[in-house]
Amino acid sequence: MSLDLRNTHAEDEGTVLQKRVDRRRALGILLGGAAVGAQALSACSPVAPVSDEEREAKLLQWQEYVKKNYRFMSDEERVDTIARLERLANIKHNVDVRIQATPAQPGVMFGYAFNISKCKGYRACVEACINENNLDRRAGTQYIRIFEMEGEEVNLDEADATFQHEVPAEGHFYMGTQCFQCADPPCVKVCPVGATWQEPDGITVIDYDWCIGCRYCMAACPYWARRFNWAAPEVPAAELNPNQHYLGNRARKKGVVEKCTFCIHRTRQGRLPACAEACPTGARVFGNLLDPNSEIRWVLEHKRIFRLKEDLKTEPRFWYFTD
Amino acid sequence: MSRATIASTLGIVCALVSCNADQSDEVRALPAAHEADSTALAIDTMAVGRPGGARAPDTTDHIQPGQLRTVATAPVMNWTGPGGKPFEVQIRTEDPATANARRFGTITLRNSARRRSPDLGQYPCTSCHLGRGMVLRDARIKDAHQNIKPDHPAQTGATCATCHAADNVELLALRNGERATLDHAYRVCAQCHFSQAESWAGGAHGKRLDGWQGRRVVMGCADCHDPHKPAIESRTPFRAPQLKRPPYRRP
Amino acid sequence: MHLKAFALSALDSATNGGRRYHVWMGSLTLVMLVGAFAYYIQLRDGLAVTGMNDHVSWGLYISNFTFLVGMAAAAMMLVLPAYVLHDVDFSRAVLMAEAVAVAALVMVLSFVVVDIGNPLAAWHLVPGIGYLNWPRSLLAWDVIVLNGYLALNLIIPFYILYSRYTGRTPNKRRYLPWMYIAVMWAVSIHMVTAFLLAGLPARPFWNTALLGPRFLASAFTAGPAFVILLLWFIKRETDYDISEGAFSKLALITTVAAQVNLVMLISELFYKFYSPTHHGINARYLFFGLGEHRALVPWIWAAIALNLVATIALMIHPVRRNMRLLMPACAILFVAVWVEKGFGLVIPGFIPSPLGEIVEYTPTLVEIGVTAGVWALGFFVLTILVRVALPIEMGSVRSPHLGGEGAPVIRPRSTGGRFTERRPVRTR
Repeated sequence: MSLDLRNTHAEDEGTVLQKRVDRRRALGILLGGAAVGAQALSACSPVAPVSDEEREAKLLQWQEYVKKNYRFMSDEERVDTIARLERLANIKHNVDVRIQATPAQPGVMFGYAFNISKCKGYRACVEACINENNLDRRAGTQYIRIFEMEGEEVNLDEADATFQHEVPAEGHFYMGTQCFQCADPPCVKVCPVGATWQEPDGITVIDYDWCIGCRYCMAACPYWARRFNWAAPEVPAAELNPNQHYLGNRARKKGVVEKCTFCIHRTRQGRLPACAEACPTGARVFGNLLDPNSEIRWVLEHKRIFRLKEDLKTEPRFWYFTD
Repeated sequence: MSRATIASTLGIVCALVSCNADQSDEVRALPAAHEADSTALAIDTMAVGRPGGARAPDTTDHIQPGQLRTVATAPVMNWTGPGGKPFEVQIRTEDPATANARRFGTITLRNSARRRSPDLGQYPCTSCHLGRGMVLRDARIKDAHQNIKPDHPAQTGATCATCHAADNVELLALRNGERATLDHAYRVCAQCHFSQAESWAGGAHGKRLDGWQGRRVVMGCADCHDPHKPAIESRTPFRAPQLKRPPYRRP
Repeated sequence: MHLKAFALSALDSATNGGRRYHVWMGSLTLVMLVGAFAYYIQLRDGLAVTGMNDHVSWGLYISNFTFLVGMAAAAMMLVLPAYVLHDVDFSRAVLMAEAVAVAALVMVLSFVVVDIGNPLAAWHLVPGIGYLNWPRSLLAWDVIVLNGYLALNLIIPFYILYSRYTGRTPNKRRYLPWMYIAVMWAVSIHMVTAFLLAGLPARPFWNTALLGPRFLASAFTAGPAFVILLLWFIKRETDYDISEGAFSKLALITTVAAQVNLVMLISELFYKFYSPTHHGINARYLFFGLGEHRALVPWIWAAIALNLVATIALMIHPVRRNMRLLMPACAILFVAVWVEKGFGLVIPGFIPSPLGEIVEYTPTLVEIGVTAGVWALGFFVLTILVRVALPIEMGSVRSPHLGGEGAPVIRPRSTGGRFTERRPVRTR
């Protein structure tokens, strides 16, 4: 059967769909129309920013957009980006923040121990963490999860983190999780752009401006430690913590991943993370694993300890112990 | 342009230096309640400006560790910390009432001497007692601490005389005949609760103050456990997490 | 000059057609516009407008991504016999299969783009200006292999088509080595996608050695099934000659792959349920629900039932040879694999979470809108590719710059290689 190349449907000549138009001309009309429309749009909307500050903000935002991964920046570039971020916070949100770039102290490797006999489920740590790390109030992001378990067996499948009754409840015990800053972190391995890495002091950090938001790291974390900013995060002015670190609790934006950083802005200054400091029962022990005289080392040497999901060989730096 | 760079660099350096100065013992007040509205604005990055754009004080920190910042400590006797190092027990903070009430809630001792000297509620003892004995200066003084009913717990048969020296209201009595000042009350607790005391000395029990680095100062036993009523009462926890994310509402 | 003519001719073929064609393209465009609007909402407000959350952090987008990578890989099932084994039956069908591969890849890349939270930062993936965490990150591998595969699937058919368009026979020595590479690459794209799930010990539902082979089996089930449907449509609507042999061979491939897929499914079920361990809890959720959480149970059982029905039907020779029965069987198989690989694979990997929390997932309208838009885009691309390729393959469209005796002198601009309509010509 030969292919009929002629127009054999004479009765359709008049319909719009079959109207014979020169294709080239049609294309020209479309493009011309688009050009005219674009002109009209640009005439209606203001092209230039209104004020000097807005212009400065746009320039700073552009410079922030094209910057490198923090890990590969020189010290000068790091200083520059922090200056830009602080200035942007000032311009856009009328707030003064102090973003540190404090590097890891030499000879320090952070470790954390959690006493499950002492935890009473108060969630004072959760509250402190939210305030300290400028967590999104609208989404109610919480880095720390406190599980209530019945009986004596650690069984996360039967645990409940949504308890809201007087604590401690009879016959139950409590156990908290957060990012364990694993020594062999699966999240670091899977990030396609290298936006997350582990610092020399053991803290796994994220460069929020480099993250593309693919959430592969969230799938890879065995301890459900990572959170995603599904919408733009909100923090009320009165509750903002202006004492920030570039790799920690500085302003995040929507579409990027975040997680507990052992309060990097505090711990690199020798202070305890907010959760450890806030715990009323002293269930949280924090310190330098490389210091043989630290409390954390004492706990690891003298107490019966365990970690979650040991068989996965992620080597978390977060141990649980009992009295 | 270069001036701006220098200025911002200096600003960073100053900020870093002042961060290190954070550990000074200056008193920090709780932030004043904001009379202006604190409605959050939804924008691409977070943080909304303070009304008026006032600069936050340099060392503002929402956890106010300054409230727990130790003003006076005593070296711990007869115990060494991890690594055989000596350590100190806190005997005074800046604002114990606020700190403890805010930080420790029901664990805080409520109705009796909550801190050791000189922050004890009813210290010095000689303000009511004539000398070191039980005789009072003024017989009209009532209900100073007769309301304390030792409940340590009741089964142990602990009475006032178990811990307090009968002949000296300012001292505590140890079983071996020694006396301990109120600053070293942990020695009394350690007599029976020796395993907890050992953990406490090592760092697995109790609470460390200040930071993880530097000199180790810990809270004493009585800072958390009321010796007269050590049972810790239950309390309402901070709000539970929402498992199911509510549907997005455009603000 | 040939190139320009080729481009214009392609544009002609793509925009010229009967009413049904324009209605089809128009409705696809409408769905794409709806999808674009939904994506605008998503860009404006963030991924919060989807049903995903911190527990189920991958949803409809990645489910479709996983399924469509398989579709793209399966096109190579036709390429290998056609080009390498010189199977005459397949040689007519192979370009259509490659069109399916390209359309599927366009959909795959679109789903990745709509899924990431910070798409403006996608340039961070480009080595040189960004940083690609290769070889540690499987997603980095995936980016490389998917784009490479797309390039291969665009360049080789373009070369063949263009050669034909300009009246030359394509030089085997030029494209055959790339063909071999493309065949191996096809297997690799789906293995890499399987590895990116299987390499996560945090997710025991995926962390099995069988996931890669299962992916390949289901890809070679759904891919050829879809190609059969497409070829049947082409055969019905145009003069393009596709032999019975092509259909029967493709149907055989689909059937065998469907059987292997079932065997692998049985193997997984046995492994997860014979000695139930904690690692099987995700499978328990999927197949039987956990407590009151049973959202996926009807889906997976429906998928398995459809899969069984279609596979058994296809195993019966008369059914395979009967076009009236073969088409529904292929359609059912396609749908069954889509459900099983989408809802039945990606979502249950997250429920329950690694810490035992159960948060179920329901896609929102925005999410469904974007997904529909991407699917419409895929079909749009497929239609255009087929519309361009067919006339060239049939020999009815050639470059107008070809001269000389014996060369067909056809002016494509005037009539544009129109297909014959099935309606009889009515005379006045």
